Amino acid sequence: MALLPANPQWRSLVLLAIIIVVLGVLPWTVNNYWLRIATGALMWAGLACSWNMLGGYAGYINFGQSAFFGLGAYVTAFLMSDPFGLAFPVTIPAGMVVTALCAVIIGAPTLRLRGAYFAIATWAFAEVLIQFSSAMDFTGGIGGIGLPPYLNERFFYFAMFGAAALTYLLTWALFERSRFGLKVKALRDHEPAAEAMGINTALVKLQTFVLSAVTASVFGAIFAYWVTFINPKSVFGGDITDQMVVMVLLGGLGTLWGPAIGGVALFGVNRLIWMYWGDTAFYIAILGTAIVLVVLFLPNGIAGLFERRKQNALDKVLDKLVGSGEGGHP
Amino acid sequence: MDLFLQTLLNGLLIGGVIATFTVAFQLAFGVLHVIDFAVGGWVVLGGYLGYYITAWLGLDGFLAIPLAFVLFGALGYLIGPVLYNVRNSRTARPELMALALSFGLFTLLRGGMLTAWGFNTRNVTTALSGESLAIGPVTVPLIRVVAAVFAAAIAGGLFLFLYRTRYGLAIRATAENRHNAALMGVNIGRLSANVYGLYAGITAMAGVLMGAIYSVNPEVGLRYTLFAFFVAVLAGLGSVEGALVAALLLGVVEAFVSTYVGASYSLLAIFTTLFLVLLISPRGILRRGL
Repeated sequence: MALLPANPQWRSLVLLAIIIVVLGVLPWTVNNYWLRIATGALMWAGLACSWNMLGGYAGYINFGQSAFFGLGAYVTAFLMSDPFGLAFPVTIPAGMVVTALCAVIIGAPTLRLRGAYFAIATWAFAEVLIQFSSAMDFTGGIGGIGLPPYLNERFFYFAMFGAAALTYLLTWALFERSRFGLKVKALRDHEPAAEAMGINTALVKLQTFVLSAVTASVFGAIFAYWVTFINPKSVFGGDITDQMVVMVLLGGLGTLWGPAIGGVALFGVNRLIWMYWGDTAFYIAILGTAIVLVVLFLPNGIAGLFERRKQNALDKVLDKLVGSGEGGHP
Repeated sequence: MDLFLQTLLNGLLIGGVIATFTVAFQLAFGVLHVIDFAVGGWVVLGGYLGYYITAWLGLDGFLAIPLAFVLFGALGYLIGPVLYNVRNSRTARPELMALALSFGLFTLLRGGMLTAWGFNTRNVTTALSGESLAIGPVTVPLIRVVAAVFAAAIAGGLFLFLYRTRYGLAIRATAENRHNAALMGVNIGRLSANVYGLYAGITAMAGVLMGAIYSVNPEVGLRYTLFAFFVAVLAGLGSVEGALVAALLLGVVEAFVSTYVGASYSLLAIFTTLFLVLLISPRGILRRGL
């Protein structure tokens, strides 16, 4: 890295500039096939980041993030097809509102409890949305909904790029550079202590959850318009959440760039498998194995490899202060 | 009226089988403090064992029950310490990591089974398959009655073990307060491995019964995991006695919704109930949860 400046802040700025320039000129240098893959990679990097807001920064695992991705997709599909035929940009805020409402309804009662209850509630919510959208007529049942096709790969590339960039900017500003982020991290590391400091933990958790859900819904909306056809399994399916979880764990829980690293890496593996074996159940087994291996051997993810020493020191201090953490708090 | 009675009886019988593995699930949670997503995976694995014992060896499906206990009990005994170590590790967020591990295990089981056996459904064949039993105006498949009897025997054995033996006492003490149990000389690590083995074995046995009543394919694991969660929330996480009541209730609710509203709405009804319970009484309807 001799080409880059030594000062870490300048170095990350230069790296960021390079990434933005590369991503900005990409649509004019590659063909549509690779552009679609790049669009998908951006979407997954953004989705992983949305999951990381709650999972990584607040320490609450959401096993139903696909519910919010799917809600965004379904609202857009529903409003853009007959009889409404609304314009695409109008449907995104509509999806965000619906998603935020659902997130409040799910989160308000369950986020007060141990993390396990929240994990159960979100997971069950996503499973039920699959059932619900399969059974109802207005969602098109198992067949799903088709959208008016718009064949402009560059548009979707830049839509995903913009959404992903905004997501990372928001995460950086809110969770790395503000009092709000400090509150979230404080409740993650020791909830009773955070409460004792006067933080309204229930409210902060709910805000984080709604933010995370709404972000996912935006990607869902763009995704629906991009693929022009959605059905319950394709947008609510558990595999979508599985992928987000693996991406964040692999990249590094609670880090800014971890989800991007994990997202691009796993999406790459996904496309490779798809190229050689097609759509296969074997991929689910690989996802499962990846989760198990990362939890056992790489609990801080790829990003954690770079700051392992710092993390260990922090753990030691925390252990001294808090003790071994017997059961009690989530 | 006949349909009503029939539905009620069917629901209670199914609820009895669900009770077997949800009681074990609660026990595992009480001791390990991990919500085990893999529970549905163990059920399905048991069902497949029941299928293959007939397909390969030509034996009756019920003979798979003891085999399931030994085989998956041993497997659970090997996995238990791993879960325990992650749950009690010194990483920043052990609860979250353990939850992720069990979720990964579940995904691995589901993906592995889908790869090996595909999406086709299989049946566990027993000597009683196809027979039915008439009790007054009500006719039920004999297999359901026998399965419920087996389930009751397994659950009864478990309760006897928990309440009449010293080791059962140690398990209950650990579930109540791990720290104090350790001070009384209970080896928590080894006990956790044993309990996870016991739980996996019992769940697989219930899986054989479930496979004999319904059919089995790798995707139904999700459904059984949802059942276990539903019962756990309704009873309060970790409450073993509550699980018995909640499982019977679940069986009845599911039967009535399937019969009177439609099978595709049963999960919807279960979830709505689950959510209302979380909203109104988060520690379970009996208010016994952790």
